Amino acid sequence: MLKLLSMVAAVIVWGALSLTLPPEIFPGPIETARTLWGDIAGGEVWTDLVMTMLRVVAGLLLALILGVPVGILMGLSRRAEAVLDVWVMIGLTVPSLCYAIMAFIWFGLNEGAAVIAIAVTAAPSITINIWEGVKNIDTRLVAMARVFEATRPAIVRRVLMPQIFPYVMASARFGLGIIWKITVLVELIGRPNGVGFKLFYWYQLADMRQVLAWTLLFTIIMLLIELVILKPIERRVFAWRPQVAV
Amino acid sequence: MNSVIEVASLRKTFKSRDGTSRAVLKDLDLAVGAGEFVCILGPSGCGKTTLLNVLAGLDKVYEGRACVSGGRVGYLFQEPRLLPWLTAEANLDFALISCRVPAARWSELKSRYLAMTGLSEYRDYYPHQISGGMAQRLALVRALCVEPGILLMDEPFSGLDEITARRLRSDLLSIWEGTRKTIVFVTHNAYEACFLADRILVMSGGTFRQEMRVPIARPRSYDDPAVFQLSRDVIKAFGDDIGREPVPSAIPATEPSLVDDLDRHAAARMNI
Repeated sequence: MLKLLSMVAAVIVWGALSLTLPPEIFPGPIETARTLWGDIAGGEVWTDLVMTMLRVVAGLLLALILGVPVGILMGLSRRAEAVLDVWVMIGLTVPSLCYAIMAFIWFGLNEGAAVIAIAVTAAPSITINIWEGVKNIDTRLVAMARVFEATRPAIVRRVLMPQIFPYVMASARFGLGIIWKITVLVELIGRPNGVGFKLFYWYQLADMRQVLAWTLLFTIIMLLIELVILKPIERRVFAWRPQVAV
Repeated sequence: MNSVIEVASLRKTFKSRDGTSRAVLKDLDLAVGAGEFVCILGPSGCGKTTLLNVLAGLDKVYEGRACVSGGRVGYLFQEPRLLPWLTAEANLDFALISCRVPAARWSELKSRYLAMTGLSEYRDYYPHQISGGMAQRLALVRALCVEPGILLMDEPFSGLDEITARRLRSDLLSIWEGTRKTIVFVTHNAYEACFLADRILVMSGGTFRQEMRVPIARPRSYDDPAVFQLSRDVIKAFGDDIGREPVPSAIPATEPSLVDDLDRHAAARMNI
């Protein structure tokens, strides 16, 4: 309820602020919504939206495939930690634009390069999350499982994985937040379609109605994914967790 | 008497970072008979837990002989160590699967021990939804469910409040009297040891200093003056002995609930 109220308030503030500038420079919420509706009714948003979504999903999957094993390795082995932590920091520091440029120059202006650039940018943050998670594993539970004669695979599956899983979930969510932004940037510099491409296109035409319409569309889709898909999954998977009252 | 636990010249050393090694167990000998209830009494850091870890097979690096026969080993830790993402019942199932107990027996075993500890109503609760005492009782159920021949217990009641601990001690004794499992119970509480044990081994600095049989007839009552008298004698007799050998690692401040109120003064002196 409060969430809804705050959103309504934000729309009102947006409307009020937009009155300070001419509508072609800073369109208000009604104008933007009308433009967005026109785009949706025209049917041209879907290709761009679907392409962006595919890149986001592919990028996230690849980022998890790269980031999770490295994080687990760093959590388990001191030697791996000593060697890799500086590289994770470097990976984290290099701007996503650099990865995008390198990927497009080296691998060509194609989907593969785009997904690689997206994944490489997001992977270090995922690695850090998992690394911390693995370090937090409760080894006393492992000792307990060993006393009960659990086999090694059973310990991994039933004692270790459930402890790492929350961190994988958290990094997926958190990675998604980063990946949306990188994807738009990557599309802007190297793809012929997608939300980022469209934003840049309308920016070049200085059509602020369209720029804000696409921003709005993107934000709504992101919120829907968060609220309709990720939150419910998290609630179901972590039903066992105690409620923290502060 | 046939022994189910036989330990001979057991030595265990830990290497610290600067390369010096410290003996935690020094030529330990121990024999525990089938169905016997043995308490190992000693201050923190004396090597009690290390000994249990060797007996449980958690620690495999040691010198000497440590032989455990007479069936599966059950272990009750100082904390419940329940898997927090599983319900009470699923925690029991985890142990039953791991120990390959035939599934046909599960429901009977679970029901019996849950009933014995008064937890039958709590099968579907998650560990964070039950109290610390209940969680520790559930851990006891888990240890008993897999039908161990030998039960190793590492200060299992020391983290609980005195009232709960008292009840659990009595529960444990009645379960033991019903099942006659071999129990090795580690504690730093002299009163607890005198109430529970057939035999008390006083441990300090990695060796057993003294051994004594508990002459009190069973079934015992927790408020029996004989238990009180004996625990006083134990502390009097062995307190100085323990005090003389400085305990190598830092001794955490003794929590008041660990020490029986009656003998707090004497206990504080010997860090029991």
